[in-house]
Amino acid sequence: MLTLAIVLPFAAAALLAFAPVSAGGSRAVAIATATLSLLALIVVWIGFIPGQGFQAMLEVPWIPALGVAWRVGVDGISLSLALMSGLLFVAAIAWPMEREVNARQYYAWFLFLEGASLGLFLTLDLLVFYVFFDLSLVGMYFLIGRWGHGQAQRSALKFFLYTLAGSLLILLAIIALVLMTDPLTFDMRELIALQPVAGMDLRAGLILLGFVIGFAIKTPLFPVHTWLPPAHVDAPGPASAILAGVLLKMGTYGLVRIPMQMMREAFATWALALAVVALISILWGSIVAFAQENLKRRIAYTSVNHMGYAVLGIAVAGSALTGHEAARELALTGAVVEMIAHGLITGALFLIAGAFWARAQDYDLAHYGGLAANAPRLMAVTWLASFASLGLPGLAGFVAEVQIFIGAFAVWPWIAAIGLLGLIVTAALFLGMLQRLFFGERPAALDKFTDLTWSELGILAAVLALVVLIGVWPAWLLDLIGADTALVFGGG
Amino acid sequence: MLWALPLFPMLAGLTIWATDDSSRLRLGLAAGSAAGVTLVLALLAAAQGWQGGFVWGAGLELKLALSALSAAVAITVPGVALAVVVFAAAHEERRGLARLVGLMLVFCGAMELAVTANDLLSLLIGWEIMGLCSWALIGHHWRDGANPASGRYAFVTTRLGDLGLYLALMATWSEAGALDYAALGRLEGLPLALAAFGILIAAGAKAGQGPFAPWLFRAMDGPSSVSALLHAATMVAAGAWLLARLHPWLASVPGWNATVIALGLFTALAGGAVAVIQGHAKKLLAASTSAQLGLMFVAVGAGYPGIATAHLIAHAVFKASLFLFAGIVGKAAGSYRLRAMGFLRALPRVAGLSALAALALAAIPPMGAAWSKEQIVAAAVQQDRLLGLAVMVAGALSAAYAARFWWLACGPGDAAPKTRPGWPEIAAPGALALAGVALGLLWLPPVQALLPLRLPESGALELIVSLVLLALGLLAGLALARRAELPQTGAADWVGLPALIDAGIVRPFERLADLAARLDDVALDAIPRGAAAAARQIARGGRRLPGLMQADLGLLDAAVWRVAAATRALARLSDAPGETLTDGLPEGAARLTGRGGAHARRLQTGLSHHYYAIFAVGTALAILFLIFARF
Repeated sequence: MLTLAIVLPFAAAALLAFAPVSAGGSRAVAIATATLSLLALIVVWIGFIPGQGFQAMLEVPWIPALGVAWRVGVDGISLSLALMSGLLFVAAIAWPMEREVNARQYYAWFLFLEGASLGLFLTLDLLVFYVFFDLSLVGMYFLIGRWGHGQAQRSALKFFLYTLAGSLLILLAIIALVLMTDPLTFDMRELIALQPVAGMDLRAGLILLGFVIGFAIKTPLFPVHTWLPPAHVDAPGPASAILAGVLLKMGTYGLVRIPMQMMREAFATWALALAVVALISILWGSIVAFAQENLKRRIAYTSVNHMGYAVLGIAVAGSALTGHEAARELALTGAVVEMIAHGLITGALFLIAGAFWARAQDYDLAHYGGLAANAPRLMAVTWLASFASLGLPGLAGFVAEVQIFIGAFAVWPWIAAIGLLGLIVTAALFLGMLQRLFFGERPAALDKFTDLTWSELGILAAVLALVVLIGVWPAWLLDLIGADTALVFGGG
Repeated sequence: MLWALPLFPMLAGLTIWATDDSSRLRLGLAAGSAAGVTLVLALLAAAQGWQGGFVWGAGLELKLALSALSAAVAITVPGVALAVVVFAAAHEERRGLARLVGLMLVFCGAMELAVTANDLLSLLIGWEIMGLCSWALIGHHWRDGANPASGRYAFVTTRLGDLGLYLALMATWSEAGALDYAALGRLEGLPLALAAFGILIAAGAKAGQGPFAPWLFRAMDGPSSVSALLHAATMVAAGAWLLARLHPWLASVPGWNATVIALGLFTALAGGAVAVIQGHAKKLLAASTSAQLGLMFVAVGAGYPGIATAHLIAHAVFKASLFLFAGIVGKAAGSYRLRAMGFLRALPRVAGLSALAALALAAIPPMGAAWSKEQIVAAAVQQDRLLGLAVMVAGALSAAYAARFWWLACGPGDAAPKTRPGWPEIAAPGALALAGVALGLLWLPPVQALLPLRLPESGALELIVSLVLLALGLLAGLALARRAELPQTGAADWVGLPALIDAGIVRPFERLADLAARLDDVALDAIPRGAAAAARQIARGGRRLPGLMQADLGLLDAAVWRVAAATRALARLSDAPGETLTDGLPEGAARLTGRGGAHARRLQTGLSHHYYAIFAVGTALAILFLIFARF
């Protein structure tokens, strides 16, 4: 079933790439494929028993000599991330294209990207993980470069090269890690059980550094985040939504799965340093976002802030081999919820930013104002997404952040206490954004600004409904994630 | 079952919000009956001892329960809200009315959640949703950009305080492993101090104490019915209530009581002084709210949370009434300038009923508020005579500003009202004013005996001194009212505090953010840009080299590449499969990347040769790789 969820989008992408399908036809094919993929994941979810380690396994030998195989399987963390990604892809694909050119290729690349993204979360083979990690760059590169606006090609190239540099580091680290095993294996479960670099100092540290820098670029963390704002600003809205919602999660998911789980000892040694970087990201992301006059740049920098929370949670979770179990569990659960919440919320915010671009071809906040009257539906969803993003209780972001903070405080009180300041800055910056978009005088140029269409509203409502559901009733998601197993049994 | 108490008004409010603004009558009836049902729910909950629980997940649970004090507040909230929403439906601008009354009910629901909470997480949820509602309600008339800006100011200020609650939550969980209030009892030492002072910051911010006071002035940009709700039944009142509710667990922290008293007393005196000279009707009342809440803080710090709660309820009743009357006279005068008012002749019923509420504010016996204020005086005296005297002075100030407010707003004058209030507009605050009179029953010892309160000993001498000061305050207030307009210096605007905050916190932060943004663009981004520039040089030379791959990779980041090359050299030393991998993996990936070459040519003609190179080299190596792997 998991393989089906990965292969379907690839197959449909190939179909669209080579078969002469009309624009409307490709759209229909893409939406149907993404929905089927999501359905396949939901079927897995129905059969999933939380707290039982990896499930829905499939293993097909590929290169036995190297221990490489097509292995798929999910635990609570990867299943919940894959479900979120599947949903977000349906939303992004169903969202109207910004520039309606080459629709067939556009949808083909989107499906290609979906296949790669789902593959990354679902695979249990480190080599396949890496392949999907790089393929996702390719898909996003073309989506930004060909269907973006402004300096799209430049931004796409910067995104591609910067994150490729990161993925090279990851590749080296993967190889170094795998070479420690005998016989060679790329099986994530075995690597988690083996802890191949346990007891080594320098080598383990270097390998860890490779992984952490590589994933930090993708996440992104301060100071390697500067590829993010231009990529977002020039990307089409739906691609931005996927970039923030799904691709950034690959960095944090990778951090959990590989360094935290496979190199517990080394990770625990360096967890505090990672937490400090996360703390700087939290503060820096929010402060820089506060000063942005460009709608999309502002949202983009809040991603640095939010992913900082997620990485803080991960650092706390891996901060020790024993002790503080309950706090570390809470922090890891919080980190995974943050990934999912950020995916849904920021995904929605970027789709909303896309709606602004589609109507006014402008992201400059100074050119907006007073839209509450002519776009009440747009205002309602922006409202909801903004408050979710600033961590208002009753919405998903709060669930994540409160758990991360509680867990972090038990381990490093001062980091949690300083990190709280991020909450106040995000509140100020989102309220300022709402104010400048929707309130006050309306510039004459915006008199003909139209509200969201019903299909746009429907897509956003579906995504945000989940944000509300997680916010008011988090238990189902927290149980599904089952962070305790990820820590105690090393994921397996 | 207790969940019904917060959830019903929230859902009812959202439903009403979703309807249109066409009929005042319908909105008034709907919102009024929703508040009425909430009141009945609160009474039932208090009578039957309802409780509630909800599994949040990850080992956390939300718990609701009512203590004797919180039951009293839980009943007061919908009671006051009932009058306020009925007034709002009759009084406020038709446009956006459904949103206004709907949000007011949501606001009440959030307050009920905070009041019924029995653990810190539920409290925090209600606490912050209140912040959201205050933002939306203060910015209700959004077409004037200043109003939403004030809403933002209020939200950010109070959220700054909320961080204290987060701190308390984190400290409690990390020490006690749970978040219910009882867990506070298992704390000691530093964690308990963190929790106690964190909660004090949260309470102080909501209650407009000390440095947090200015947000209450900005909140005056909201409609008057919003001010009434905010100051009387929700939000601001929540600050004092929280301290009263958690007092049993926090009082043992060294220095906590003294800090609470100092903060409350300072605010009571400063707020009183500001109110005495304010020329804006609503701002005068806002400053008085800070001052009255300060008195409640003093009561809590002196060890009498029950008295604080009693004063909170008395205050809720008369302050809501006064704000609603201020809305009437403000509309009639066309502005909130007290000098433009004086409606005794034109609006005698308004003047008469508001006099009752003003007497309660002035704490003149036999009003109920006077009783609770004298109890606070007694509690303070018991603590320290000087403190008692200071509280009496604060009481005299409240008599002065109450007298001045009423005299200027509703006293003798020739002002001709621009509009005349309808009967519901008078009935709603009138009923509250009469309720304030009814609370005068508290002066009767048999009634006091029924209360679940511990009362301080009060001596006759103190009462006499207090009343004399009160009388002096009244006279001073009347004298001030009859003088020419007071100069509105910076002192009237919270003794210059907002200007200080603006210059000391807001502006520097904005400069910091701008600086950080420039740094981010210039300095941090220079790393990859520098690497790219250097690599371009390498690439120019590299074209002549056979390995185009190297030039392309060099573009990435010179440093990264060097590390990669070194590691690669290391890997070559290892066994054959390892070597295959090091070379095969990037190439294999590159081959897949190369698939996109056709698109890349259109996109980046300058780079297409690189992709061709990757494609060719990658294909060749991938074939080798597959052959190799067979062995």
